[in-house]
Amino acid sequence: MNMREAAAQLYRTAVSTEIREVTWVIPTVQSIHIVAIAVVLGSAIVTDLRLAGVLATDETPRTVVRRHLPWMWGALLVLLATGIIMAVGEPNRVLMNNVFWLKMSLVLFAFVLTLLFRLPILNPEFRIEHGRWAKMVKPMAWASLLIWIAVVYCGRWIAYAI
Amino acid sequence: MTWNDFLESVSNSALGTAIREGATTFAWIEGTHVLMVTTVLGTIAIVDLRLLGYPAHRRGAKQLIKDMLPFTWGAFVLAVITGLALFASNALNYWDSNPFRWKMIALFLAGLNMAVFHLTAYRRIAEWDDLLPPPIMARVAGITSLGLWILVAFLGRWIGFSAPMV
Repeated sequence: MNMREAAAQLYRTAVSTEIREVTWVIPTVQSIHIVAIAVVLGSAIVTDLRLAGVLATDETPRTVVRRHLPWMWGALLVLLATGIIMAVGEPNRVLMNNVFWLKMSLVLFAFVLTLLFRLPILNPEFRIEHGRWAKMVKPMAWASLLIWIAVVYCGRWIAYAI
Repeated sequence: MTWNDFLESVSNSALGTAIREGATTFAWIEGTHVLMVTTVLGTIAIVDLRLLGYPAHRRGAKQLIKDMLPFTWGAFVLAVITGLALFASNALNYWDSNPFRWKMIALFLAGLNMAVFHLTAYRRIAEWDDLLPPPIMARVAGITSLGLWILVAFLGRWIGFSAPMV
């Protein structure tokens, strides 16, 4: 079964139909998706700019990351859940859309970057300057921000790429 | 000239027409608008949560506000500029939209709430800078701000799903 057939089958399910036909579901789920994006951006701005050496440099990277990373994980979960509801409700618009898959690749990339460059910082023994990737920390922090921004634009463009 | 005539002239202006008729112009401006609104909400939430008694990456409220506000203001200015551009592309219909009108009211109330906070509790921030929980006026300002800005996000999304846009 290819993606087209899978999307068509999904479209015919009761769940998919219900999501589409109850008028307030999709706008509300999208709105929650947008609020969760705001949480990710807030966390990303603070943690990425701290690692880039621009913001709150009087606080240790560990303090900043420790406080904001859980919010990012939580918001990413909400984004996944609301995203699944939207994909189930409108499988053709989402699953048959190149921009959506580009967005998913970028999200995966940002997620992996976050894992690689944030989790070690939570360890109190870890010293950023002595880590193997010390020189990469700043550029990767800026890259992370840019990737999240690209994700936001992709998200909006899904509607225009159908 | 009536108000509707004015809105129509805005729509028919060079700017309004360019945005409405450009192949991808509206989409890029809209994408930027969404990015800016979510940045405002995300950065202001950090301050509002602190006002509610949930410390961010530092305990002091004043320095946290100093950390975050440049981003909030910068994003807000760009949100207004892109918002005006979007409005110009279809002024009459946006004006007729109920979610749009309520969004403008929510924005105004959010601004009012911020002004009140800055003229009252914020003036005495030295007294409660690292106090947890903060005084009641700060907590009221925080929850009001958070509630209104989340409402702004919801109403903004609903514009596209309500008459006359749909």
